[in-house]
Amino acid sequence: MNATTSPVNQYFKALQLDEQSNSLSQEILQNCGVEIERCLECGKCSGGCSNTHIFDYTPRKIVQLIKVGNEDRLLQMDALWCCVACQLCVDRCPSGIDIPRIIDYLRERAIDRGIVPTRPNVKLFHELMLDQVQKIGRVSELYLILNYNLKSKQYLNNAELGPQMFFKGKLNPIPARVKRMDKVKRLFRPKPGQKGVAE
Amino acid sequence: MGVHKEQTTLVIGGGAAGIEAARMLGQAGYPVVLVEKSNRLGGVLNQLASSFPRWEDPVKFVEPRIKDLEQSASVKVLLESTVIGCQKTENGYQVQIKNINGAVEELQVGAVIIATGFEMMDLSGYGEYGHGAFPNVYDSLEFEAVLKEWSAGKKPEKPPVVAFFKCVGSRDRSKGYPYCSKICCMYSAKQAGLVKDLLPEAKSYVFYMDYRASGKEYEEFVRSVIEDKHVRYVRGRPAKVLPEDDRLLIRCEDTLMGVPIEVRADYIVLAAAIRPSRGTTEMAEMFGLETDAYGFIEPEPFQAVKVQERVFLAGSCGFAVETLGALQQGAAAAAQAMAVLNQAD
Repeated sequence: MNATTSPVNQYFKALQLDEQSNSLSQEILQNCGVEIERCLECGKCSGGCSNTHIFDYTPRKIVQLIKVGNEDRLLQMDALWCCVACQLCVDRCPSGIDIPRIIDYLRERAIDRGIVPTRPNVKLFHELMLDQVQKIGRVSELYLILNYNLKSKQYLNNAELGPQMFFKGKLNPIPARVKRMDKVKRLFRPKPGQKGVAE
Repeated sequence: MGVHKEQTTLVIGGGAAGIEAARMLGQAGYPVVLVEKSNRLGGVLNQLASSFPRWEDPVKFVEPRIKDLEQSASVKVLLESTVIGCQKTENGYQVQIKNINGAVEELQVGAVIIATGFEMMDLSGYGEYGHGAFPNVYDSLEFEAVLKEWSAGKKPEKPPVVAFFKCVGSRDRSKGYPYCSKICCMYSAKQAGLVKDLLPEAKSYVFYMDYRASGKEYEEFVRSVIEDKHVRYVRGRPAKVLPEDDRLLIRCEDTLMGVPIEVRADYIVLAAAIRPSRGTTEMAEMFGLETDAYGFIEPEPFQAVKVQERVFLAGSCGFAVETLGALQQGAAAAAQAMAVLNQAD
């Protein structure tokens, strides 16, 4: 590739900081109640995160991307789908910034915009899990794994863990339903003007 | 032995530190001569639009102190005067004070308090920021005047974008000084917050490497400027300012993301390094005082304000201090002067 045809490295193209840059953090403040401006930029969240080794953007950088208002990158990033909401970042954050709440918000928005996670089957897994929650109010590990392996056509994925989990009582063939299914139903009512994830 | 109040103390410089030293000595009944080069007491405080960490009007704070001096029977204020010479004597110094008309007054003093202050670094070496070349690029003291105008009601037609650059000349080993000028973090936060107070539709950016808010209520002050007044702090040292139409284009890296950033601003305020004023250099030479590598007056080892047997410093002629620090040093210098005038033989 010669110099004249080589593409511009989009990452190093100058980012414009202007009056519109803080609209995303405003939105997150309104919808999630999370004050991005409280961030001290210390990185304790990233240091504590259980999944940074597979993240393309660490939690601190995710907060920073919100500050500069780079919504495209936030919705396209892989980390959006690798966060397991373990809450370690919130627990460690000296300013109490609820990063998993932001991640949830951004995921909803990505789905609304029809952005498909780049990792295979991530969307499938989320859908199957929510489907179960909608049906019985909780997640049955056994049926979630079976369903997931069938639909993703990875029939023996993690199969070796099955017996261990069974003997530890983690795989119950008769999943219990929550008693107040009416309350669960309410969780899945789509918000006005918004397309619900499991609608 | 009794208290010896016959010897005069000379206070050189009528800023916050000098005023406080003269006021305390006057309160205690010691004769004081306060020499001020300009036609007004108050020094830099007169130029400031607000103060940190409590947003108080510095003029309101300096006025009662000046009144104290005027009412004190033992304090003599010499405005538009300078100390032009000194000779060491057995019990102090013989000094010559020249006023604006050229008249020279001889004075025998028992103690000298130097409070000659600081000046902002000349920014002509920073061509990349365009101070002096582009309109609307100010140093921080010049911008205080703009803020005063805005406070008085002469506001710009369109809400402006104001960018503050910290560490211009400070922490710069190639074109400036290696030291941290200590007060810029706080006054830049103050100025950026004040812009938002005066013009809520305006946008304030502060470009920083880190913010050093080590003082009572300082950290809370900076955080409130960021979180309550919504001043945007951008981590990175701006590299270049380019004129673009009517505006100024700032290029820098957001070092938290590692991406280049561009901001278009209407005003740029450079927090220039603080260096010893010309008066400080002159007095250090005249009295034969120790100075550090940058020309700030150096106290004796493990001394707060004592420079020599009968010479004390107060305020930013020793190193950059905030107003509170200047007052503390002024009071300390006054106490030390009283001590030396009363020491047992």
